[in-house]
Amino acid sequence: MKFQLVLACIVLVTGSASAADHGPVFSYATPVNSEREFSFDTGIIGRNGSQGTQLSTGSGFGYGVTPHLTLNAFLPASFGSGDLPESRIMSGTEWSAGASWRFLHSVTSVGERIESTASLGLVVPGPQQDSGVLGSLHRAPGVAGTLVTGLASRSQYLWLGGGYTRFAEASHDRRPDTLSWSAVYGYRPPSLRRGYDKWDYRGFAELTGEHTGAVRSNGVILPDSSATTLWLGPSVLAIFKNVAIEGGVQGPLFRDVSESIYGRERVRFAINLSYLKYSSHTSSH
Amino acid sequence: MKNSLALGFFALSTLAAHAEYQQVNLTVFGMDCAPCAHAIHVSMKGIQGVNTVDVDLNTGLVSIQLTPGNSAAMHQFNEAVEKNGFTHKDAAVIVRGELSGSAQAPFLDVTGTKDHYALTPLATGTDIAGLLGKTVVVNGTLPQSPKGKVSDTLRYKTVTEAK
Repeated sequence: MKFQLVLACIVLVTGSASAADHGPVFSYATPVNSEREFSFDTGIIGRNGSQGTQLSTGSGFGYGVTPHLTLNAFLPASFGSGDLPESRIMSGTEWSAGASWRFLHSVTSVGERIESTASLGLVVPGPQQDSGVLGSLHRAPGVAGTLVTGLASRSQYLWLGGGYTRFAEASHDRRPDTLSWSAVYGYRPPSLRRGYDKWDYRGFAELTGEHTGAVRSNGVILPDSSATTLWLGPSVLAIFKNVAIEGGVQGPLFRDVSESIYGRERVRFAINLSYLKYSSHTSSH
Repeated sequence: MKNSLALGFFALSTLAAHAEYQQVNLTVFGMDCAPCAHAIHVSMKGIQGVNTVDVDLNTGLVSIQLTPGNSAAMHQFNEAVEKNGFTHKDAAVIVRGELSGSAQAPFLDVTGTKDHYALTPLATGTDIAGLLGKTVVVNGTLPQSPKGKVSDTLRYKTVTEAK
């Protein structure tokens, strides 16, 4: 376990990425990169249950093609085994790449905007195997889509989002389809609405939920292999100019999961580091 | 003829060195956090001739000081806002340029750029007629323009002859 933690830390430090960026750490949010902005995110996402702890490095990369279109890639690696159900909110072993399009962007006042973002991506099996019942499946690529809408302001944030992932079949096996949703509320107290050359803090309450369908193995649906869970917890985001660090923890509100297959998941946690590289490029006359 | 051309170029270059934006205070909507402000800061600093940039997140005011002799154009400031996904509103500017047109319909040409504004008064009391053909400093406001555009009207508070 120590070795796995060290490995995870190495990847945390050396990995490149973008995912949580400077929004909530568990939930879906609308922000996308600026034009020509590179973003690098890396972190650790953990799930602890009765059958062990699973750690994933949430490493990603993003590039803003236009102010409202970002290409992104997400390359997680996992350590430990929890024999836990499929989750798309908590990254597992699949690599993914896709695009996020902020199709609605309405600026309502100083520091306030309402926006909606849709994402579509390809999910492919990474080099690592899952543990538990998912680990025995032949894996095939899948398609993931998300839709999120909400409000950002100097004082408050509110985002509602949902996602769906469907995997293809491989040798009569198929990973379960996953329906994910999230609601997040964020608040920045008046005393922390400071200049951009000081640390910027805000807190979130993050509610996330997922329903994963049944696992199909050798053409047979495994009984009781679907799962539905609902999680709630706080997270804190701290930003200084173009560097952000955030962390959060969630506990279960609702679980409809076969404990004989997946055990009993108790806690989820995440730490994420972001580096945002903005472009100074401007047109000439 | 050669002498005339040389004189012409000399006059033009002298004019360009003294005709430019000196200060642009741009109101920007949509910035909620420190990275938003940092992104604007980086983009504005990338414009040649920009000396200092200050961003106030609570008022949305982006204050830009420019170096003398710059040739920065207004569309560059607007683009710096747009590329970061924000919206530019009114801009208060102090700009040097050549006054042309008539007392009833004066224009300002910001030499060294293609910026050309119709001047409309915010208050009465400025003797425009006496300044026609001269290099002037205008303190005024550019109204909000659609994305990708620059206002063609500059509402002036004061117009004074440049020293």
